[in-house]
Amino acid sequence: MSEAQSGAHILCRTLVEAGVDVLFGYPGGAIMPFYHALPEYPGLRHILVRHEQAAAHAADGYARASGRVGVCVATSGPGATNLVTGLATASMDSSPVVAITGQVARPMIGRDAFQETDIIGITLPITKQSYLVQDAAELAGVVREALAVAQAGRPGPVLIDVPKDVQNQKASPASPPGPLSANAERGNGGGSSSIEDGVRRAAALIAAAKRPLMMVGHGVILANAYAEVRALAEKTGMPVITTLLGISAFPEGHPLHLGMPGMHGEVHVNRAIQRADLIVGIGLRFDDRVTGNLAAFAPKAQIVHIDLDRSEIGRNVPTAVGIVGDAAAVTRRLVGAIQARDCAAWRAEIEGCRRPPDASFRGGMSPEAILAAIRDATGGECTIVTDVGQHQMWVAKLFPYRRPNTHITSGGLGTMGFAVPAAMGVHLARPGEPVWAISGDGGFQMNMAEMATMVQEGLTVKLAIFNNGYLGMVRQWQQFFHGKRYSCTPIWSPDYVKLAEAYGIPGYRVQDASELADAVGRANAEPGPALVEFVIEQEANVYPMIPPGGSLSEPIEAAV
Amino acid sequence: MTAAHTVDVLLDDTLLTLNRAVGVLRRRNLAVERFAVRPCGPTGVSRMTFVLNTDAATADRVVQQVRKIVGVRAVEVTTVQNHTQEEHP
Repeated sequence: MSEAQSGAHILCRTLVEAGVDVLFGYPGGAIMPFYHALPEYPGLRHILVRHEQAAAHAADGYARASGRVGVCVATSGPGATNLVTGLATASMDSSPVVAITGQVARPMIGRDAFQETDIIGITLPITKQSYLVQDAAELAGVVREALAVAQAGRPGPVLIDVPKDVQNQKASPASPPGPLSANAERGNGGGSSSIEDGVRRAAALIAAAKRPLMMVGHGVILANAYAEVRALAEKTGMPVITTLLGISAFPEGHPLHLGMPGMHGEVHVNRAIQRADLIVGIGLRFDDRVTGNLAAFAPKAQIVHIDLDRSEIGRNVPTAVGIVGDAAAVTRRLVGAIQARDCAAWRAEIEGCRRPPDASFRGGMSPEAILAAIRDATGGECTIVTDVGQHQMWVAKLFPYRRPNTHITSGGLGTMGFAVPAAMGVHLARPGEPVWAISGDGGFQMNMAEMATMVQEGLTVKLAIFNNGYLGMVRQWQQFFHGKRYSCTPIWSPDYVKLAEAYGIPGYRVQDASELADAVGRANAEPGPALVEFVIEQEANVYPMIPPGGSLSEPIEAAV
Repeated sequence: MTAAHTVDVLLDDTLLTLNRAVGVLRRRNLAVERFAVRPCGPTGVSRMTFVLNTDAATADRVVQQVRKIVGVRAVEVTTVQNHTQEEHP
């Protein structure tokens, strides 16, 4: 048996052994033994954020871009509670994040000690699993299990709470990794016989359908099921709809690609759903932003639902065939089980519903023009991380994604402030590739302090701000549903160019489309972070829009 | 149509797992008519039993959410109308 080590060293060593190479964190009283040990582990790069929320989002961004677990670290009390929004974001979007929090020493727990909070209790509904480590001898096993649980089955966040005295406690370094607890692999259920039966029935439905559609979501990206999904589409001619988190799972320029469905889906996409007689859903959960009014959703369609998480089958929409399993494995079997066909007449019918592009953005500074400038400057090879709001929808609908998993956004939780810190994690997962964080002026101001992190840690993230002087999506809802009473939505911004300068990074303001190519090109070419503010029309709207709770058949469209 | 659904859950004998399972009920603010936890079978396993008076769809969603909690080993549902068994592989 080797020499005893402190819990802090065991924690660091186990992370290194598990292949973790970057941590996003912020030190504080109850996590100080860990930070004391950390410099002895040069394989663990630590990124000092400016707020723990950013650490969680950055770990999330790292996880989504790398397919590996993202790790964030915070102290007890406020450090831990600041992680909560980031963990909830990761939970809603099935992202494997492990949060390590310091906790007050064991004898102090439950006494309302300084910076004590029940972070496990607070995060129970938004974590897959959590551990309060009571003995340093358990630490290595807990860390290994936490990393495995975060990735197993449907990924999600896991929290490890480590009391300060456990970090200082000496224990024998752990035994070699043992098998995971039996149920950590939960989520891969569905025996092969049930899959075979489901595949056979799904293939029969596809063969018989006159108006079949595919809807693909984040599960396709998580399972790397791009080739299988494309093969299924091309063998059958079924048009493909990508949900917000499914964007980039299917090439945007492919003739079978229709676009994004739901609240801000194009008219022809939603019409296709409403007319379809079969929907093959892969790795999505039919959430309310996709379906609108459930009672009116896809009224003619039978639904085949393929998902890793058994609890999602039939949860929101009734399914004719539910198949629990990995999106790649199930889709591959489905491709093997179906006869080639085409859907030419059906695709022509959908094309007939297509509307001309929204022309409400008159003048040069349209989202199309801005995104075209980013596409041109990067050769379309960048990863775009978006925030939440109008710009998020414009990017989702307009950016021509070519490569898989190059669109990263907060979908389920809809977390404003996500883009800037998440982009730091994306950059570390994909060093050398351009990463653009696109935010509105509201969301950017939530986590703009992370510019300091980028400068201190040398993180090359390009920051784009769509500045319309409003919390634009809320203003749009006020315009449509609240009698144009723009209550508390006008929002002042600092001078972003001067702000960038204060942080020591180049900043550009673009007020006219003629300046777009130059500013975006220069920002993209900068060796480090750079900021571009796009001053856009103040009261532009995202069209079309299905009112919340409304039917996909009844969009609000731009006045012609 | 509401019915009485008796849900038996075999789960790891830890407060964390129990807390997660109860959280599924708490989140939906469901009326739980009876609730019991007791040791069961091998060491480290508990049986949690509760009765929900709700519709079949809600009961099914609760069961699906409970059964995916890490530490839950099996879920069995009995309703007054019918009786089904669900075991993890």
